[in-house]
Amino acid sequence: MAKKILIIDDDKIFSKILRDGLVAGGQGGYEVFAAFDGAQGFEIAEREKPNLIMLDLVMPDMGGIDFLKKLRAEDWGIDIPVIVETQLPDMKEISQGVELGVHGYFIKSDYSIDAILRQVGDVFK
Amino acid sequence: MFPRELLPIVLILVGLYVVVVGLSFWWARRIKREIKEKEQEIKHRLYEIAILKEIADRTGYSLNIQKILDVIAGSLRQFIEYSAASYMLLEPSKIVFKADLDRSVSPAFIKEIRGRMLGSLEALLGRELADMQIEETLTGAIMLEDMDEPVRSFFNIPLVIGDRLVGVLTVAHTKAGLYNEEEMAILYKIVSQASHAVTSLEDVVKAEQDKITAMLESMVEGVVMTDRDYHIVAVNPAAKAIIGETATGAPTIFDLAEKFKGVFDIKEKLEESIKLDKVLTLDGAAIGGKYYQVLVSPVRSNAGPMKGQTLGGVVIFHDITHEKEAERMRNDFTSMMVHELRSPLGNIKKIGELMRSSKVLEDKQASSEYVDMLYESSSVMLDLVNDLLDVSKLEAGKFEVAKQQENLKELITDRVKFFNTTAQGASISLASFTGEGVPDLVSIDPKRVTQVINNLLSNALNYTPKGGTVTVECFMHKQGVAIDDEAGHLGMPWVNDDPQKTTAALADSVVVAVTDTGEGISPENLEKLWNKFIQFVSSVRKGGDRKGTGLGLVIVKGIVEMHGGTVGVGSKVGVGSTFYFTLPL
Repeated sequence: MAKKILIIDDDKIFSKILRDGLVAGGQGGYEVFAAFDGAQGFEIAEREKPNLIMLDLVMPDMGGIDFLKKLRAEDWGIDIPVIVETQLPDMKEISQGVELGVHGYFIKSDYSIDAILRQVGDVFK
Repeated sequence: MFPRELLPIVLILVGLYVVVVGLSFWWARRIKREIKEKEQEIKHRLYEIAILKEIADRTGYSLNIQKILDVIAGSLRQFIEYSAASYMLLEPSKIVFKADLDRSVSPAFIKEIRGRMLGSLEALLGRELADMQIEETLTGAIMLEDMDEPVRSFFNIPLVIGDRLVGVLTVAHTKAGLYNEEEMAILYKIVSQASHAVTSLEDVVKAEQDKITAMLESMVEGVVMTDRDYHIVAVNPAAKAIIGETATGAPTIFDLAEKFKGVFDIKEKLEESIKLDKVLTLDGAAIGGKYYQVLVSPVRSNAGPMKGQTLGGVVIFHDITHEKEAERMRNDFTSMMVHELRSPLGNIKKIGELMRSSKVLEDKQASSEYVDMLYESSSVMLDLVNDLLDVSKLEAGKFEVAKQQENLKELITDRVKFFNTTAQGASISLASFTGEGVPDLVSIDPKRVTQVINNLLSNALNYTPKGGTVTVECFMHKQGVAIDDEAGHLGMPWVNDDPQKTTAALADSVVVAVTDTGEGISPENLEKLWNKFIQFVSSVRKGGDRKGTGLGLVIVKGIVEMHGGTVGVGSKVGVGSTFYFTLPL
């Protein structure tokens, strides 16, 4: 069965690139959903119960960390693996993320699609 | 034979001779006496000059009356005869008695003069001094028990500094008949001159002290000074404000240590600074919600008897909250800028990666989507780079406007036409009004004014919800009338920002305004509108579908000011905003 991946990112272009990359790279193994803010992301997560969430930290209204706190407060959300995407590595946010059970990080503009695909593949191993 | 008739003549001549000789003797004696007197006077004068010079040389600008008295007492020998020259000084907790003996005297002699001097002091002060401790020092010849000559001559001179009696100076002798008032006049003079010098010096020192105190009191920096045992000896109001309320009102080193607990150990720093004899600087100590640069420095005496010795330490608090805030904003700005440039660039790179590796190019729809994304990402980047470049040019004063006679009304009409499509797409009605008397040609840089109107219009359209209205207004301003009143008379929509009618003072100009029916801006955010750091950073934080870089208004202000005009904004939350600028004629 295809793995469900939810991308939560307000950068629509990046979101589309990531989605296309995951779909193409997953060779039919990934079903990808996209949300453009935290609230929408939470809605989709609750409905779809994804196998992995790719989460942007800097977003309007509900930011990444707030989303994580909300997610981890739910029974269904405690164990969903989360990979955080970030443009600005911020130690404070990273340590906050670690406390909230984040699986991995990648820096948006530095990581290639291939590198991201490998990171995603590791989660499902 | 001697003629008798000549006798009277001879007698007269003899008499004359006697008178002349007698007179000569008298004259000679008188002259001699005068010379002697002159000599005496010169001697006195020389002594006076010598001793005053000696006082000045040996004591400098000293406030130490005892030192001055030592010099005077030590010099008296050259000038008058005495058995003992002594002084008695009143100090807060004791009396200093010092006698210089020129010849040996009996202990009874010393006891006698000491008693007389104490008596004089008591009489002059009008109070008893019997229970005060007397510190006695004898110099010169030694006392001999078997001497029995009493005090036969004695003279007292009171020592007065300012209007305060501080002691007496005394000469005493076993010989009788010395020290008449006349002889003592010079001593009086010297003592009074010395006292006068000390008095003036005290005044100067006090005036200086007052100045230093006033300076310390009015300093913005907090200053705390301690002695070598870390007792606080001075603290100015600014420092008190930092330390806050203390139990006794006078802060102690413990209050200070408590205040800086966890930030730094103030006593340790003071010790270190005094021990190493160097100034320690602590940057950005966070105390009570503010940031301070803290300087800890040893205090050394650089004059006087304590010269070179450490007197204690001083701690200076310099409030750098503003600088810290500015630094934080600059850092935020830089990292946000990097973030903003990296995002589209990273996207462009990844699009390239996808197009190379997957079958995107074979899929016509997908490749057209990717080309659109490439176009959008690079446009975002280019806009940002252009805006940043404009802002930095404006800040460096290198922004140039090329003014020419240009039809402003046409330019506005053209802009309104250009934005009409966007407005229609967002279901916003876009209207424009032009008042009477606006000249056809205005001296402007058309490219830059277009940029200003573009910025204002795109902002207005961005922040206006569906069904709202955006209006572009253009009318004449006459000096003496407030711009909002002028708009009101013309019946143009206007969100007022000028209750004090300050715009009335602006010179005759053309006003261009953009009024929207958007969400409005809160008063605290209004203040931040023109700050590039805040605008840029908050626009990035907002993320999402925002358009523009947040630097637009900063550039608008810069361009308008380069034209000699003014920008302004009036806004009410829930009503909308009016952004306007003036172009002087």
